Amino acid sequence: MTESLATARSTPRALPEAVVRIEGLRKSFDGRLVLDDVHLTIGRGRIVSVIGQSGGGKTTLMRCVNLLEQPEHGTIEVAGEVVHQDGRTVCRDLPRLRRTVGMVFQRFNLFPHLTAVENVVLAQRRAGVGESEALERAVALLRRVGVAHRALALPDQLSGGEQQRVAIARALALKPELLLFDEPTSSLDPEATREVLSVMRELAADGMTMMLVTHELPFAREVSDHVVFVDGGRIVEEGIPEDVLGAPAQPRTREFLASYGSPS
Amino acid sequence: MTDLAAAFEVPWSDYRSDLLDALWRTLSYTAVSFLGAVLLGLAVALLRLSRAWPARAVAAVYTELFKNIPLLAIIFLSYFGLASAGIRLDVFTAGCLSLVVFYAAYLSEIFRSAISGVHTGQTEAGQALGLGRAGIFGQIILPQAVRQALPGTNTMLVDLLKSTSLLVTVSAAELMSEGRLITSSTFRALEVYLVISAIYFALCYPLSQLLLLLERKVRAGVPLSPWRRRRLRAARALLAQDTAPDRASAADVKAGAV
Repeated sequence: MTESLATARSTPRALPEAVVRIEGLRKSFDGRLVLDDVHLTIGRGRIVSVIGQSGGGKTTLMRCVNLLEQPEHGTIEVAGEVVHQDGRTVCRDLPRLRRTVGMVFQRFNLFPHLTAVENVVLAQRRAGVGESEALERAVALLRRVGVAHRALALPDQLSGGEQQRVAIARALALKPELLLFDEPTSSLDPEATREVLSVMRELAADGMTMMLVTHELPFAREVSDHVVFVDGGRIVEEGIPEDVLGAPAQPRTREFLASYGSPS
Repeated sequence: MTDLAAAFEVPWSDYRSDLLDALWRTLSYTAVSFLGAVLLGLAVALLRLSRAWPARAVAAVYTELFKNIPLLAIIFLSYFGLASAGIRLDVFTAGCLSLVVFYAAYLSEIFRSAISGVHTGQTEAGQALGLGRAGIFGQIILPQAVRQALPGTNTMLVDLLKSTSLLVTVSAAELMSEGRLITSSTFRALEVYLVISAIYFALCYPLSQLLLLLERKVRAGVPLSPWRRRRLRAARALLAQDTAPDRASAADVKAGAV
């Protein structure tokens, strides 16, 4: 693999610039607190994995980054711009913010009425990219993720692994500064999981800034720079993967890892 | 045998141009009313899906009202009823108005369930890709809803065409009215209404078969619009190029992702 899917470390910086900065985030659904005083910073080119039990708030935390969820309190800064402050979206151009943040969903969410290549073209055209440039980029991206031979198939004619790789190509099409992965392999069989993880591994090697919510602990350990364990709406423990996944300090983290049969 | 032969004695060649006029009138009622009903039905469906409860209430009252009144009563109300209230509509306007308000009620139900049947994940995927409300509705929700609504909508179109025959009651000069005129001058009711029925069948059967074909094509994802065909042709041409990663676009992707 000589060409890269994405590069993020092209310009060396003295300090790792933060792509995401979250401070004091609080969010509740129908009076039930799902996130409470969460702080998180993701530096450029960093890979942050968020782990924890279902219902613990990790997906909600991720969905706050591109404001698919509106928090009640706290500050969210994306690519150096404050986009949300204490329950108010202060970002003037929400679509532009969302184009800088690509997202890959657990259930793929491909557009079923469009072929794979059209799925990758759609948002580019809405963002003002010319037709031929958008098509070329779409085909190139589908080649990178290894599904170019299925470019003209409809989503329901694709396997789960193929669909998720098309979804990754679609998320990359707008040249985002950050990719969000919301349990990208949770609806996939082991074979498809391997396909998707290998694409993500390449993205990681290319220096893409990524935030991933995952149950794939060995994968998180392999690619992440930073692991965050979220439980009951709070960050219980965070640090380098060797510490959090290898030698967790908090009993709650140890309990969680034990339930996954992971050596701690 | 002689009875059957005796049944076909109407001098049809004398009525050819009248029948063609009537056929044209039937098709005009159908086309104008269906277009109006689709537009009004879509508007009512969107009101029913609105976040504002007064909008939802207005739409619900409309739908329930016109679904539960016979079409014939609506026709009489708009032609005779409005006239006695001082609003005189010509027969074409009154006829189309009746068909529009009646079928819009049914179509709004079909459209509403089709639109709300599109998974919320689709909206979220659109939002995550930076699409605005109009883009999400026009490019993601509506095309999927159309696919879902097509069978019911097609049934309504054929039903509407047949229902134009009810306009005989206001002498709308369409096929059924023409049949009544021919009958009154020839006294050959069986022959005349058999021929009129045959004409309706000859309109409706091919139409419904054509619509079924359309449904199948849409379901199979066959591109129907010229710009979509053009896009897929261009994609096919790009894909046919050397399958080894091509340098120019790879560099483009690489540079772009920074």
